[in-house]
Amino acid sequence: MSDSKIRILYIDDEEHNLQSFKASFRRQYDITTTISVVEAEEIMENQEFHVLLADQRMPGMTGVQFFEKIRSKFPESIRILITGHTDISAAIDAINKGEVFRFIDKPWDYTYVENAITHAYDIYKTRAELKQRNLDLQKAYEELDKFVYSASHDLRAPLMSVLGIVNLALMEDDVQSQNEYLDLIKQSVKKLDTFIINIIDYYKNARGVQAITEIDFNQLVNDVTEAIKFLPEFGKIDMVTKINQTGVFYSDAMKLRIIFNNLITNAVKFQDIKKESPFIKLTVDATPEHTKITFEDNGLGIKKDDIEKIFKMFYRAGATNSGSGIGLYIVHEAITKLQGSINVTSTAGEGSIFEINIPSVNK
Amino acid sequence: MTSQFDFILIDDSAFDLFIYEKLILKSGIGNSVRPFNSAQDALEYLTGEGDRLPKTVILLDLQMPGMNGFEFIDQFDLLPVSLKSQIKIYMLSSTIDTRDIEKAKASIHIIELLSKPLEIGTLKAILQD
Repeated sequence: MSDSKIRILYIDDEEHNLQSFKASFRRQYDITTTISVVEAEEIMENQEFHVLLADQRMPGMTGVQFFEKIRSKFPESIRILITGHTDISAAIDAINKGEVFRFIDKPWDYTYVENAITHAYDIYKTRAELKQRNLDLQKAYEELDKFVYSASHDLRAPLMSVLGIVNLALMEDDVQSQNEYLDLIKQSVKKLDTFIINIIDYYKNARGVQAITEIDFNQLVNDVTEAIKFLPEFGKIDMVTKINQTGVFYSDAMKLRIIFNNLITNAVKFQDIKKESPFIKLTVDATPEHTKITFEDNGLGIKKDDIEKIFKMFYRAGATNSGSGIGLYIVHEAITKLQGSINVTSTAGEGSIFEINIPSVNK
Repeated sequence: MTSQFDFILIDDSAFDLFIYEKLILKSGIGNSVRPFNSAQDALEYLTGEGDRLPKTVILLDLQMPGMNGFEFIDQFDLLPVSLKSQIKIYMLSSTIDTRDIEKAKASIHIIELLSKPLEIGTLKAILQD
């Protein structure tokens, strides 16, 4: 039974009506039937239906009364009433109390019923989509709110640090310590600059147009590492890159650059200075269909509790001066946009391995 | 004669810990300064010290990874009264968010929200009161 079929629940006390409906529409729809309104409610507890059909004249409870009863509990299902006796007060009740979408006259006409069900399902689908959009919007709004809150903090904090250092420097007569203060100001300004660059990357990644080109991983990795290698923080890290590319791989160079840049910079930033020989091993295996990238380091590693959270926006694991909590979030977003996946294994104190798998984008 | 205080600084920024430690010591208002870069560590220290803790002024940052300033206050609330009565907490933050400001005002443990950068004159005036 396919999931894409319209799911219908039909309630009628006359068994033969149910049978003939089933016989006519069995192939087209996923049909459940029952002769009892009590049982109908039980069935609805366990399964969601797109369209409900109910006969008006039933012993115990009319179709309209049934709809009125279940309407608030199952508001999504679209209700259709089947009636053999056109009775104006029943019709008024059906619309006002049962909020019925359509009437079907008995004996029913195949095309008419089919039409009614199609339209009912369209409404069901539209409402469901609208609901989903509203949820998405709400989520986007909450994220924006959080973004503004955290971004304003991360933009102001380094500036306030600079002002604090200036205050301190003004109290000092000794020229030697002035240099120390200037160095602190420099670090603080750099931190702010990194944050701004990250925000720009994030924006480009989130809103920018995909630019799919042929990727030369040797070239790409070279470009990225050149810029990082000359940073004073790079220290004595031994960086080993193994790139094995066969054939042409299509992807978005901008996003790959963001991924490489953030992960290599992180490995540099969070290296363990106590270790004898710090290393970063970068391996790229690229075929025309698929690329696997691994970053392995023997840096500080990530605590167990933090591993699930590191890809969250503004989450900073541990206290550090250089983390803005946005780098890995951007990495995750970029990988998601490329329809890839990322997997982390890490032990605090030993090091981390990031494994990324990305499919080729077909032009 | 101005009185001196023992300080605890809680801030994830190593810059700010450095700045405020120096500022407090240089200005002569501080007798001692104990910096913590995590609220969790500071809390453990307080619990460990217990009754040995002298009268202490805490300058508490708000936005920190792990336990933030308000979460610290929630945990602080659970400490024994004898320990709490030794401690005066001032929140020191660069926040300009009205929700944060309201929340800090409403807290019974936060005496005042001071904005970064901390002016030593302000701190002196507040503590002499």
